[in-house]
Amino acid sequence: MSVGTIIWLSSELMFFAALFAMYFTIRSVDKGEGLPWPGAHLDVRLGSINTTVLLLSSVTCQMGVFAVERGQIRRTAKIWQFRQWGLREWYVLTFFMGLYFVCGQAVEYIGLMRQGLTLHSSAYGSVFFIPTGFHGLHVVGGLIAFLFILGRTFAAKRLTREVQVSAIVISYYWHFVDVVWIGLFTTIDLIH
Amino acid sequence: MKVEGGLFIGCAVFFAGADIVYWYFSHDPTGTTALALAVGLAFLTGFYVLFTGRRLPKRPEDDPAGEIEEGTGEIGFFSPHSWWPLFLGLSCGLAALGVAIGWWLFLIGMLCVVSTTIGFVFEYYHGEFAH
Repeated sequence: MSVGTIIWLSSELMFFAALFAMYFTIRSVDKGEGLPWPGAHLDVRLGSINTTVLLLSSVTCQMGVFAVERGQIRRTAKIWQFRQWGLREWYVLTFFMGLYFVCGQAVEYIGLMRQGLTLHSSAYGSVFFIPTGFHGLHVVGGLIAFLFILGRTFAAKRLTREVQVSAIVISYYWHFVDVVWIGLFTTIDLIH
Repeated sequence: MKVEGGLFIGCAVFFAGADIVYWYFSHDPTGTTALALAVGLAFLTGFYVLFTGRRLPKRPEDDPAGEIEEGTGEIGFFSPHSWWPLFLGLSCGLAALGVAIGWWLFLIGMLCVVSTTIGFVFEYYHGEFAH
């Protein structure tokens, strides 16, 4: 199952390769024609906060993996003693951090749409919204996966190998989505 | 697992070389990006196989004097049969049809996708075969 996930993720990488390639093609064409680039005022501060939260969510996700590798599903101490947290507490925290990221993206989209940038408005609008939108959909997919694995920890009668492996492959997926976002954020927001 | 990992890392090295040559002769950002991420494609799998290979005990496949029967044993849990993939596939079809016909059908399709996925994921977590 984990090898299958890795193979699938590497094919997902090629999916994002197509999106990156599209971005760079339109960028070189538009810059060649002397059009303004980026085609809108990007809120880098909002983007940076979002990126930081997503990065930290990868850390909390990995803490969940360490917990499940010890065989610890639930916390063994009070809720503020995070060293004793199990898979459930770490994954719930990761879920909310991912949710924060999606909401932050929505806020950024609304701001750009107020500037008149939409999917149809210009070539820049398309190459901005398509890659970031697909990435956002991947994050939402990850959030659903977190809900499923949390549901499984409650439904399973005991900690099975299946629950452990599914929790671990979800973390692979989450790290992948995180790394893709670093690439997207760097190309779109930082180096334009 | 060194051989499998080496094959993938070899592919990554080849793509990296091809990428540099490609950029040098064409200065085309599109193909260069695609090739650079192809390096990632091969490297990701290669790195994973090598990393996991170091953590796992030696497999019978890695032993030149290994015998077939050494590989026997419990491999994992396999569902004997399931109707959920069929319904999940139909729901995906409905959602895809919704993209062409109208957003109302897409929303109904997505609702079906979510509910059939729940059925698929929790099939062996309730009822007679729960584990």
